[in-house]
Amino acid sequence: MGIIDLDGLEVRLGGRLVLDGLTGSLEGQAIGLLGPNGAGKSTLINTLLGFHPPSKGTAKVFGLDSQRDRARMRGGIGYMPENDSFIGNMSGVRFVRYMAELAGLPASEALERAHEALFYVGLGEVRYRKVNTYSLGMKQLIKLAQALAQGPRLLILDEPTNGLDPMARQRMIQLIKEIRKQGNARLLISSHLLRDIDETCDEVLILKGGRIAALCNIEEERRSNRSFIELETVGATEQFSVSIRGLGCECACFPGGRIKLVIPDHIEARDLYVIASEQGVQIRRMNQRRDSLEDIFLRAMDNELGRTAHVSV
Amino acid sequence: MSVYKHIYRTYDGRVTPAWTRILVLSRYAFAEAWSSKITVGLFTLCLLPPIVFLIGIYLANNPIARALMGMRGPQGLVINAKFFLILLQVQCWSALPLASWVAPRLITFDLADNALPILLSHPISRFGYVLGKFVALFTSLAAVTSLPCLLLFAYQGYSSPLPWAGANLQIALGLLGGTLIWIAFLSILGLALSSWVKWRVMATGAIFAATFVPAGVGGIVTGVMRTRWGFLLNLPFMMTSLWHRLLGAPESIRTDFLLPTESIAAMLVLACLLCAAMLNARIRAREVVRG
Repeated sequence: MGIIDLDGLEVRLGGRLVLDGLTGSLEGQAIGLLGPNGAGKSTLINTLLGFHPPSKGTAKVFGLDSQRDRARMRGGIGYMPENDSFIGNMSGVRFVRYMAELAGLPASEALERAHEALFYVGLGEVRYRKVNTYSLGMKQLIKLAQALAQGPRLLILDEPTNGLDPMARQRMIQLIKEIRKQGNARLLISSHLLRDIDETCDEVLILKGGRIAALCNIEEERRSNRSFIELETVGATEQFSVSIRGLGCECACFPGGRIKLVIPDHIEARDLYVIASEQGVQIRRMNQRRDSLEDIFLRAMDNELGRTAHVSV
Repeated sequence: MSVYKHIYRTYDGRVTPAWTRILVLSRYAFAEAWSSKITVGLFTLCLLPPIVFLIGIYLANNPIARALMGMRGPQGLVINAKFFLILLQVQCWSALPLASWVAPRLITFDLADNALPILLSHPISRFGYVLGKFVALFTSLAAVTSLPCLLLFAYQGYSSPLPWAGANLQIALGLLGGTLIWIAFLSILGLALSSWVKWRVMATGAIFAATFVPAGVGGIVTGVMRTRWGFLLNLPFMMTSLWHRLLGAPESIRTDFLLPTESIAAMLVLACLLCAAMLNARIRAREVVRG
C-alpha cells in the first residue's frame, strides 16, 4: 500500500472529464505532481481531499478512501492551497491556532503549535499582525504554517512557490527540503515548475490531459544520470579512453576529442582527472547530466497517446 | 517543533472528538461577532425593552409602588397573554437588526478571503461549518429574545400573589416556541443571504430587504387579486399571526384575512429549504464551472 493509491480514478466536473482513469501507487517521501496548466493537478488534489467525488474508481490516502473516510483522512493531511486562502481579519497566530483546533488539537496545544509553526516558517516576528496586512510571500508562508501546525502525516502543497520573488522562493524550497529531510511527514507538491519539483521531490507523477503521462522515481533517475559524463579532451584521447575503460567505465569516443562515458558507482570524477594528468591529457570540459526531470517531462509530453510511461534511462 | 529548535515534528498527542469541531467554529464565530462595538451596542439596545416590561410587571404586582406613583388601580397593567405578546414582538423585531449585523460577519470574512478551501480541508463537513455558524448566531439571538422573555415570565410567576405561572403555562410555551421559530428562521436567512453577498453592508441590507420587500409584493397581490394568500409573502404578518396563536392571544385582524397555521408553517419551511439550497450552492471548497 502506498501513501496515495489511485485505482481507475475518473472525475467529471461540470460534465467534462477532468481526470481520466488514473491508476498508480505513490510511495515517495516527497511526491511531485507535474503537468501543464489544465492537466488536472489541482483536481487530483481536490479529489484526494474529498472536495470532488470521483465519478469512477477510487482514490485512497494512507489506505483511507477519499470519500468514505473523508473526515479521518483529512485529520492526517495538511493542505496549502494554490490561491490566497486565509481569514484576513485575524492575526497570524490566531488564524493558525484556529486551523489547528479545527484539525482536532486541544486549544492549548493548538496555541503552542501555532507559535512554533509561525517561528518555523519565519513569521514569528509578525505573528500578531493581521493576515491581510501580510505581503504575498508572507501569505504563502502562513498557508504553510497552518498546514504544519496540526502536525500532519501528509502535507499537500499546491503551487507553493506561486508568485514568490527569487529569495522568497528559495526560502520556501529550503523549508520544503527541511521538512522532507526530517522525514516526519510525506509531501505531495503540485507545480508546473520543473525546477521546484526537481529540487524537492524524489518521485514524480506527470499528468497530461487528465491522464498519467509518466510516473517515476526521480532519485533513481538522478543516480543513473549522475554516472553519465561527457568530456571534451585535448591530447592522447585514444590512450586515455583505454585507461578509463580499465577502471570499469563504459566509454565511447567521438571526433574532436569528445568522449561519452558511464562510470560505475565507485569511480569519482576526480579519478578521471588523475588519469588525464598522468597521461598528459587536458580535460577542457566535463558535463554531468543534471536535467533528468526535464527529459522525463519532455518525453511524457511528447507521448501523444498519453499512456503511462514508466521512464527509465 | 520548538520556537528555538527549528525542526518539524508531527503531532501525536490527544485529538478532540469530531463533534467538538463544530463548537470550535461557533467559538471563533462568537468571538468574531462580538469583537464589533456595534454588536455590543445593538445587544444593549435589545435589552432595554425588557427593563421597561420588568418595571411593568413589578408595578402590576405591587400595590404600594403603584400608590407611590399615584396610580389608582392595576388598570392598563394587566399581565396576560397580550402583555407578553407585545414583549415577544418587540424582542423578536429588535433581534432583526442584530441578526442583520452579525450574520454577515460570520460568513463574509471567510468568503471574501476565500478561506473555505482551507477551512473545509480540515475534518469538518460543509454541514458542520454551517451548523457551527448557525449555533453562534442562534445563541446570540436567543440571548435577546427567548432568554429575557422567559425570565420575565418567571418573574411574573414569582411576583404574582396568585398561582399565575401554572395557569398560564401556554404563554411560556408560546414565548419559547415563538422566539425559537423566529430566531431559527432569522439565523438561516441571515447566513444564506450573507453567503451570496460578499460585501457586508450589502448583506445587512439584503437581510432587511428579504424581510420586508416580499411583504410589499404580498400586499400588492392581496390588493389586486383580492385574496388573502398574498399575505403568505408577508413575513411580519405571518409571524404576528403565529405568535398570537402560540400565546393564545385574540387576533385583531379581519377573519377573512386570517391564514391557516399549516400554510404559515409550510411557507416558513419552504423559505428555510430555499435558504438551505442557497447555502448548499455557496458553501463549497471549490466552485465547479458548468459547461
